[in-house]
Amino acid sequence: MKELGVESFAASTDSRFVHKIWQAEELSKMVPGGVPFPMIADASGLIGQAYGVFEPAAGVDIRGRFIIDPDFNIRAMEVLTPEVGRSVNELIRQIKAFQHVRATGEVMPAGWTPGKPTLKPGPDLAGNVWKEWKPEMAF
Amino acid sequence: MTVARVGHQAPDFEANVYYNGGFQTMKLSDYKGKWIVLCFYPGDFTFV
Repeated sequence: MKELGVESFAASTDSRFVHKIWQAEELSKMVPGGVPFPMIADASGLIGQAYGVFEPAAGVDIRGRFIIDPDFNIRAMEVLTPEVGRSVNELIRQIKAFQHVRATGEVMPAGWTPGKPTLKPGPDLAGNVWKEWKPEMAF
Repeated sequence: MTVARVGHQAPDFEANVYYNGGFQTMKLSDYKGKWIVLCFYPGDFTFV
């Protein structure tokens, strides 16, 4: 993430004390040095509420992930119920795509990965996307 | 209460964090100007 210039943060309703012990007891055994980014303590659930992911029945923040651009606009969110983990590859793909858009103004069709064709939006492209892009290119 | 919407400004907040072996506070807006990924998850010591 750092290579892409991204600041990462994790947040749960656990206190900072629990974060400290989880890092020491488990995360540092899974990954050398543990997780290298700040672990936010959202004990009241207020941050989760502001992001629409706090589940009051369980008192936890569910699995929401937000990409925020340098202008502080949310570009993407993905929210899952807790049983299924996220795709890191999809996160990286989305970040690269949004960074590319911001740098070039080109847009990324479905299934874009670095190296695949992009589209240059404009009035001439309307009705002519079929000339530039085929559905097979999404896979 | 702002609720986060894609295409809109991210809700700012101040929080206690555990980072780099210590406790700190942070504001999300301190990181304006950078790309940010904010990941919520249900709990430490849980399975997934």
